[in-house]
Amino acid sequence: MRYLWWLVRRQPGRVLRGSLLGTAWMIGLSARPYLIARAVDDGLRARDTRALALWVAAIVVAGVALSYLGIMRHRTMTFIREDAKARSAEVLLRHLSRVGAVLPRRVGAGEVSTVGGSDIDWTAQVLTLTGPGVGAVVAYGVIAVVLWSISPLLALCVLVGVPVVGLVVGPLLRRLERAESVYRGQQGALTARSGDIVAGLRVLAGVGGRDLFARRYAARSQELRAEGYRVGAVNSWIDAATVAIPGLFLAAVVWLTARMAVTGDVTIGELVAVYGYVATLIVPVWFLLEGSHQLIRGRVAARRIVDLMNVTADDVGGPGRRWPGSLPEARHPDQLAAPEGPADLHDPVAGLTVRAGQLTGVAADDPAAAVALADRLGRYVASGVSWGGVPLTGIALDEVRARILVADHDAYLFAGTLRDILRAGADADDERIRVALRAASAEDVVDALPAGLDTPIDARARTLSGGQRQRIRLARALRGEPEVLILVDPTSAVDAHTEARIAERLRAARAGRTTVLIATSPLLLGRADLVAHLSAGRITATGSHADLLDRDPGYRHLVARGSDDADLEQPAETEEAYR
Amino acid sequence: MSRLPVADRRTVRRALRDMISRHRRAVGVVLALHSAAAVAGLAPPWLLGTIVDRVTAGASVATVDRLALTIAGCVLVSALLSRYAQYAGHRFGERAVAELREEFVARTLGLPVSVVERAGSGDLATRSSVDVATVGTTVREVVPTIVIASVQLTLLFGAVFLLHPLLGVAALAGLPSIVAVTRWYLRRAGSAYLAEGAAAAELTETLTTTAEGTRTVEALRLADDRIRHGTTRVAVLWRARRATLALRTVFFSVVEASYPLPVAVVLLVGSFLLSRDAVSLGAVVAAALYLQQAIDPLDRLLQWTEQAQRGFASYARLLGVGMVPPEPPGTTASSRGERLVVRGARFSYSNGPDVLHGIDLEVRPGERLAIVGPSGAGKSTLARLLAGIDAPRQGVVSIGGCPVTDLDPAERRRRIALVTQEHHVFIGSVRDNLAFAAPDASDEQMRAALGTVGADWYAALPAGLDTPLGDGARQLGAAEAQQLALARLVLADPHTLILDEATAALDPTTARRTERALAAVLVGRTVIAIAHRLNTAHDADRVAVLADGRITEIGSHDDLVAADGAYAALWRSWHSRVDEQR
Repeated sequence: MRYLWWLVRRQPGRVLRGSLLGTAWMIGLSARPYLIARAVDDGLRARDTRALALWVAAIVVAGVALSYLGIMRHRTMTFIREDAKARSAEVLLRHLSRVGAVLPRRVGAGEVSTVGGSDIDWTAQVLTLTGPGVGAVVAYGVIAVVLWSISPLLALCVLVGVPVVGLVVGPLLRRLERAESVYRGQQGALTARSGDIVAGLRVLAGVGGRDLFARRYAARSQELRAEGYRVGAVNSWIDAATVAIPGLFLAAVVWLTARMAVTGDVTIGELVAVYGYVATLIVPVWFLLEGSHQLIRGRVAARRIVDLMNVTADDVGGPGRRWPGSLPEARHPDQLAAPEGPADLHDPVAGLTVRAGQLTGVAADDPAAAVALADRLGRYVASGVSWGGVPLTGIALDEVRARILVADHDAYLFAGTLRDILRAGADADDERIRVALRAASAEDVVDALPAGLDTPIDARARTLSGGQRQRIRLARALRGEPEVLILVDPTSAVDAHTEARIAERLRAARAGRTTVLIATSPLLLGRADLVAHLSAGRITATGSHADLLDRDPGYRHLVARGSDDADLEQPAETEEAYR
Repeated sequence: MSRLPVADRRTVRRALRDMISRHRRAVGVVLALHSAAAVAGLAPPWLLGTIVDRVTAGASVATVDRLALTIAGCVLVSALLSRYAQYAGHRFGERAVAELREEFVARTLGLPVSVVERAGSGDLATRSSVDVATVGTTVREVVPTIVIASVQLTLLFGAVFLLHPLLGVAALAGLPSIVAVTRWYLRRAGSAYLAEGAAAAELTETLTTTAEGTRTVEALRLADDRIRHGTTRVAVLWRARRATLALRTVFFSVVEASYPLPVAVVLLVGSFLLSRDAVSLGAVVAAALYLQQAIDPLDRLLQWTEQAQRGFASYARLLGVGMVPPEPPGTTASSRGERLVVRGARFSYSNGPDVLHGIDLEVRPGERLAIVGPSGAGKSTLARLLAGIDAPRQGVVSIGGCPVTDLDPAERRRRIALVTQEHHVFIGSVRDNLAFAAPDASDEQMRAALGTVGADWYAALPAGLDTPLGDGARQLGAAEAQQLALARLVLADPHTLILDEATAALDPTTARRTERALAAVLVGRTVIAIAHRLNTAHDADRVAVLADGRITEIGSHDDLVAADGAYAALWRSWHSRVDEQR
């Protein structure tokens, strides 16, 4: 509720204008029946051509004025809603951009897309209340006064009757909506099926089974049709009722008024006018009922937006991160100074020391242990890692992020041109991008694209092959030239020729800088200054690649893919690790 | 990329006519019922006019009572008729939509893979989701609304005509301006609303992808970049919305300003006729009320025209899929022998430069051939030629002496299976994901197949083979998904298997276990494996090295190592240290 109010307060001028226009328009709606009644009474019945011409002119002028009011109201309300949507989208985006690694673990991407796709709209929709909502209340009052002047008894009937009709019909429509939403759910599932078939078309072409899928889809489609029949049977009754109930009410009012006309209590013109007023009154009453429903939905939607905003970053220990919009934080009392220049990283859990300026290879038996190690070294979790003797947890997180980069093998690729992706927000010229592409042996990826670096790539780079994606990720990580670079499985999807090239160029590109290479490829590990074997979460041996091949049978088995006998000795625990 | 075709207006109209004539009876019933309902709906204003006349003439309370009761009766009859009309229309809509989407899916499944790939699956995905949904909404909701509104309008104006022809002519006063502005609006609305929809989808995607990639945003410090990106999207959407608002501003103000015109003209003409006693006061009042009543259906008609137009465009795209010639059935039902032979095969993608420059290759039945080479050498293209997905531009690829592309597609797939690193888990149970490769396989065979490929995660599934997968149900990781695909192959039991980097998505150890497990099953089968891991090559009977669209080396692993060429060099850098140990 506070969030909704905040959205209203951001645009007071517009909201005021919306209320005024909404009110004027609603009242204007009731002008036409009045004018027609006067034209009938004073003009036609009295056979007074002048009066008729006057009232007819008034009808036309009022029509033009009403259309002007109507469109201005619509414009103002559209601006109010769009302003609210844009504002919601922006605060949400700001938050999502800053919240960091924690988000995927707390909320599903589906939820974000629901919030982004529909909750923002629902929330904005509530603001409609500020215009026509206010107008509806006023218009209702005005019509009440006019009717009262015709006949207090009629006024009472109409003023109570219309809302009652609304209250009866409203829930019926809700039911209609619910039945529809069940149908839509099934329809969505069917659409997902056809999307599924399209996505898997190549698989079906490779293995067969097209007929089976066509039949299965047709069966589901028939089920949906049957459900559609059921929904249609119920809905058509409800629809008929929503037309019949107001119609019958109108008939009752006409009957009452006509009897009064017989006794001379009302004029013929007033009889026609009352008919018109009842029809007109439905509009504001409808707005109010719809508005109350929107308010309920909007509050739920706003709640979800606020909940998403309340997801806070992970506790990674030590002084926190700078929060969006906050002033550059004064140094936290406990904050420690980071090492001035390149320094060794030490992880006490695994017993690994990463020498500054060197290329350290880590061969892990268990991929999960490798990821955990990268998380500790990059401070995605609180840990006892020290950097140049300083606890990493005590250093400002901003500085850690700026100097230590963990490049996950499944790091996200955002939509944009290839140049945007490789720049990753920095001002890198094409020359530096080319250098990074060369180091990642990814020049051919660019060359194969129709517009080279300017080719737009969609999110997750789905149009590229696995190997191409991996090399683009590697190029992006190298382009940032971080002081410490931790690469997790950077070449698992590229062919041996390319991998050999990458291993060679990577070493040159990172010469003199600290690099951790978590991989099991002998081509990569062979280029490392020092290789550590991570087994069951602990470093069990260190040395050069050749050294470890000599000394450590477990290591030899891990990296020497293709030797014939090694597999037979594979210990049972490592099998467990892949479950 | 050549896009999938879109049907032209004539074809769409013809398809619509066909659809209507197929459901001739249903359409007739719907129209008749709606007309009857609308006629009953016309009675109240006319009865009100009668009341006005009678009261003016000094009628009794009883007359008024009777007339009022008739009004109520008409309301009820109209509601009842419109209920059945709606229900009949609804059933017709459901049937038509079901037919349409089933035909679309059947056509999609019949598309040659090469066409889908060239068009990009995005286009087809949009058609299957957005366009099918749009046409569905159009047939189920828009068309009925338009039909009802049109019937009502026709009858309302007809009624005014009946009251007096001159009044009828007068009632058309507002029409010219409405027609003009509607044409103006429709010409612009389609593209403007599409742009708005696209801008909205982009903003949602920016939010969603930012949420998916928060860890990367944090690691690469992309926050400001993402915010900048999103702010641009918000601005684009705002502009798109302003553009559609501008269109609506013109459209609605002209239309709404036109609504009182017929009422005004009818009153004036009515007064003229009244002065000559050509009509009664009640008739004029009824005409004015009819026209007042016409605003609502007219409004609905105008509002939905744009939607109907969009439905028309979507329908054209759906029909377009049917215009692609389906995969040719093949001229030969079967062939003798399993020997795959490639002779002088050259290939280029859509008139580009040749990717393969004269490949000669013979794969012996039961042989395991590994194809290695740097990316871009043409390995995947060769795999597609071998599987018969593409035909060579020059030369021939044959199996048992018969060109593979001449084989019946179903037959071809049964014999030669192509597995790529692109895997897909279909929505459905584990069984559904396996069964389509071998419809007759028993549960026991399926479990055995899963065991063969080392898919030991299967044991942990809550409902075994019935565990639902994909889309909101259990999501499989890349490794699990690929193992599922391989298990499918075990069940399909083709004599020739082409593995195009089939295990690239698996982590090294899992990949190796899967390969070894597969190797045990594939004994006696012809296997052509395109691989980037050299152990696959090491295990093969022969290795072909592909570079720049040519086979540069071919022979057994040991021969190639002994020949000391490019393959040997690569092998040494991979393996020399280990070899020294042995």
